[in-house]
Amino acid sequence: MAAVRTRGEVIRHRLSVTAVLVILLITLAPIFWITATAFKPRNLATTMPPTVFFEPEISPFVKLFTKRSQLREPPTEEVYNAAPWWEKTVFDGGEKVVRSGRGEVQPSGYPSRFLNSLIVAITSTVLAVSMGTITAYGFSRFKVKGEDDWLFFILSTRMLPPVVVAIPMFLMYRAVGLNDTHLGLIILYTAFNLSFSVWLMKGFIDEIPKEYEDAALVDGYTRMQAFFKIVLPEAATGIAATAVFCFITAWNEYAFALIMTNRRAQTAPPFIPSQVGSGLPDWTVIAAGTFLFLLPVAIFTFLLRNHLLRGMSFGAIRK
Amino acid sequence: MSDLAIRNLFIIPTIVFLIVFNIFPLLYSLGYSFTDFRASTNAPANFVGLDNYRTLLSDPFIWRNFTITAKYVIVSVTGQVIVGFGVAMLLNREIPFKGLLTTLLLLPMMLSMAVVGLFWKMLYDPNFGVINYALGLGKFEWLADPDMALYAIAIADIWMWSPFVMLLSLAGLSAVPKHLYEAAAIDRASGLYTFFRITLPLVAPILMIAIIFRTMEAFKTFDLAYILASQPTTEVISIRLYKMAFQEWQTGMSCALAYIVLIMVLAITNIYIKYLNKVKER
Amino acid sequence: MRGTWTGLVAGVGMTLMSTSAYSQELTIFWAEWDPANYLQELVNEYEAETGVVVTVETTPWADFQTKAFTEFNAQGSAYDLIVGDSQWLGAASEAGHYVELTEFFNANKVGDIMAPATVKYYAEYPGNSGRYWAIPAEGDAVGWSYRKDWFEDPAEMAAFEAKYGYPLGVPADWKQLRDIAEFFHRPDQNRYGIAIYTDNSYDALAMGFENALFSHGGELGDPNTFEVEGIINGPKAVAALDAYRELYGFTPPGWAKTFFVENNQAITENLAAMSMNFFAFFPALLNETTNPNAANTGFFANPAGPSGDRFAALGGQGISVVSYSQNQEEAMKFLEWFIKDETQKRWAELGGYTASAAVLESQEFRQATPYNEAFYQTMFIVKDFWAVPEYAELLGQLNNRLYPHIVGGEGTAQETLDALAADWKATFAKYGRGQ
Repeated sequence: MAAVRTRGEVIRHRLSVTAVLVILLITLAPIFWITATAFKPRNLATTMPPTVFFEPEISPFVKLFTKRSQLREPPTEEVYNAAPWWEKTVFDGGEKVVRSGRGEVQPSGYPSRFLNSLIVAITSTVLAVSMGTITAYGFSRFKVKGEDDWLFFILSTRMLPPVVVAIPMFLMYRAVGLNDTHLGLIILYTAFNLSFSVWLMKGFIDEIPKEYEDAALVDGYTRMQAFFKIVLPEAATGIAATAVFCFITAWNEYAFALIMTNRRAQTAPPFIPSQVGSGLPDWTVIAAGTFLFLLPVAIFTFLLRNHLLRGMSFGAIRK
Repeated sequence: MSDLAIRNLFIIPTIVFLIVFNIFPLLYSLGYSFTDFRASTNAPANFVGLDNYRTLLSDPFIWRNFTITAKYVIVSVTGQVIVGFGVAMLLNREIPFKGLLTTLLLLPMMLSMAVVGLFWKMLYDPNFGVINYALGLGKFEWLADPDMALYAIAIADIWMWSPFVMLLSLAGLSAVPKHLYEAAAIDRASGLYTFFRITLPLVAPILMIAIIFRTMEAFKTFDLAYILASQPTTEVISIRLYKMAFQEWQTGMSCALAYIVLIMVLAITNIYIKYLNKVKER
Repeated sequence: MRGTWTGLVAGVGMTLMSTSAYSQELTIFWAEWDPANYLQELVNEYEAETGVVVTVETTPWADFQTKAFTEFNAQGSAYDLIVGDSQWLGAASEAGHYVELTEFFNANKVGDIMAPATVKYYAEYPGNSGRYWAIPAEGDAVGWSYRKDWFEDPAEMAAFEAKYGYPLGVPADWKQLRDIAEFFHRPDQNRYGIAIYTDNSYDALAMGFENALFSHGGELGDPNTFEVEGIINGPKAVAALDAYRELYGFTPPGWAKTFFVENNQAITENLAAMSMNFFAFFPALLNETTNPNAANTGFFANPAGPSGDRFAALGGQGISVVSYSQNQEEAMKFLEWFIKDETQKRWAELGGYTASAAVLESQEFRQATPYNEAFYQTMFIVKDFWAVPEYAELLGQLNNRLYPHIVGGEGTAQETLDALAADWKATFAKYGRGQ
């Protein structure tokens, strides 16, 4: 845009900036609210009027990671005083920590679900991006008969509603024993992200001048060497952006995870809403689980923001 | 290795992978859609011809699910385009910390829809929710009112996905050559004229892409609607399908419904792509 | 970087391998609620005795059925035992998901240990066949909690008596229930009459409606002939639906997807005078930390209908062995331990609703909490939903028909139930029942 000149334009500019800030506020308000709730004492989570100022507590996180049960009688003073600080916060909330027969504190389902999310999202992202990159290179540099049709086919696999795919996949997985396994979910997410990865990477690789490789080939590089030593480094930005998108999609996926997994391989998204507590809702724990779950993506987004903006627009323009 | 070998090595595994995990399951379920198979029993599947399709297409409840889905798609995509494109127009100027601002605005679309559904449920609560308090709406029933619930879900969806439209619009806007605006300014063209004659036509193709993506996604909506409300008026087709397949275990019937949905998605996408090509040609 | 990836892949590999089962472990699947935590405490004692590690895995009620049956139908071995809902018996036994326990039942005389209603509804399928698929584990039924301080306020009592002509107290019948709900329904004071179940994602709405239906002398249908016409849409059922629909008018705002969590919240957040709930959810209401009104919360059993019939909707579950479990032998040993008298007594002490007749009848149990007496009475007046294999379809149809009427005000009660009767008739015909 041209530099600001007249008074009218100055006012319009200021109004626009103000409007953007207001929209930013609206955008961030729900995220702020969930974060605030994650640090509230339980009795302040659902007050009317809403509580904005409060002394932050760590107890929701303690509760998030432990299995708890309703206190039917208050603990004796002796027990209470002997308890470590985190157990006291659970007592204070009217609950007690559930211990195993050997007296070990039992973890809630959250840590294992979080770990499952990490395993599934990272592995499927690595697979989707690496396969996507080489396939994109193949389409970008070589003549392929019916190239457009193949590319459309690849894209079309992403149009399928997950629930539609889930029915036959459920039956197929049942036949080979892949239901409720990490591998099963990894394959699904890889398949799901692959089409996106091919399209995005093709946009990036098309951008890299062919002459670079041609020069390398003349210098005696093999095609493979040229790909690994010339093309890949050039495409690093694109790979990073693609990886983040694939990761976010896999990290957040809900429908497949809901249907295809149970105890062993369940990821966090279908699990977090299940933290509704027993008998009474504990929004602080749900908020704490949500907050922790958002953190990796928020950090990722922030660190790679420039790549993201570029990658996103690219993928779309190239469609 | 020859170039041909490398090409095959690079492309064929991906194609095979996608065929095995996308096309094969679809053929598998096509077969089942002509049977009365139930995955919950050990009874063998009986061939019933087109019965499932006939039953589904004459079931008023299913048509209602489709109408609800259509309504949802229209409301939420329209909302996203208006908000997203509007914000992009506002952002398309020199603003301090523009990169940071844009990143923060993108945050909602990075979140899990299931989790977003959960906390919007909390925000909408008439008894302790923040939305009614902030807007002074008293005890307004966002999710309990059968007529309002679908809009409430669409609002959460608009909050989440407007940033996507904004981002694409921004890319499109930044591609509009500046000299066109300068020329318009010299001709003392009105703001509206500039917008409709210069900005919109040039951004249209990319906006169209955003609309295609969002329509497809909105058509597939499951998580958000499933978690936010269980009104009959919010039962979009994916939820009906999920219930039929994984709660009632009418596997054959649900395969048939899945096919009907699939054909609709493909048809809609095709119409859009045709239209997109027209827009691009102009 | 490369090292990191290698490590990661190795880690994934190990995680994948470690999913194979250990022999000395048992996993029990149940829904997410307090009894599951009590059960965890109980099985900890089993671990202390035998060294077998037993874990109770939970999932929220809304998903419980779906999760369980997806796992069954995937023939998964993730769970060895499952504490499944009573209406699953038909579906799970006919499809072979449950190990038949008839032999175990007879050998251990389980039928004599457990209360008759629990054996009938939680263990036997088909009805009166003498075939058993579960051990009654958690008895439960729908009861009511109420605000004693509101009920006992002299000003309220006087105003109530002046308006309705009889004293305010625990409702003796559904008419009084309705009057009290109406009396306390004061939206301008942020106070509402009553909290009922309306969630249509599983069986909550059905349970709530059944409370009205059974007490009005109505039935779902004939359990032997599967005849529903004139029963589920008969005059008693219509009156019951009208009553339930009327109660919805006295609920707090936004009461359209409510189950146990919301209904308990109605009491803790000072929203409603009375609240319907399963007994198993009442412990949270006695906990002073979670319920500021704990001292002022009272409980009563489902009141009688207009002609004096008095019944309540059955909840509760039996524990079954999953056919696909690789630890069936261990599971059976666990069940043997579970039905012992001392185990059942301990189960009740920890907060579980034992189905053991001896424990239930003991004064000790009946006086243990303010609601145990109401629970004890209720367990003799319970009735349940259909338990046939296609119960999920029947339940879905009930939700589809009743929900728009109750919450959305669509159609009349007669039209709604006529449509439901037609749906059910078609479904029963489809599966060849009652011919």
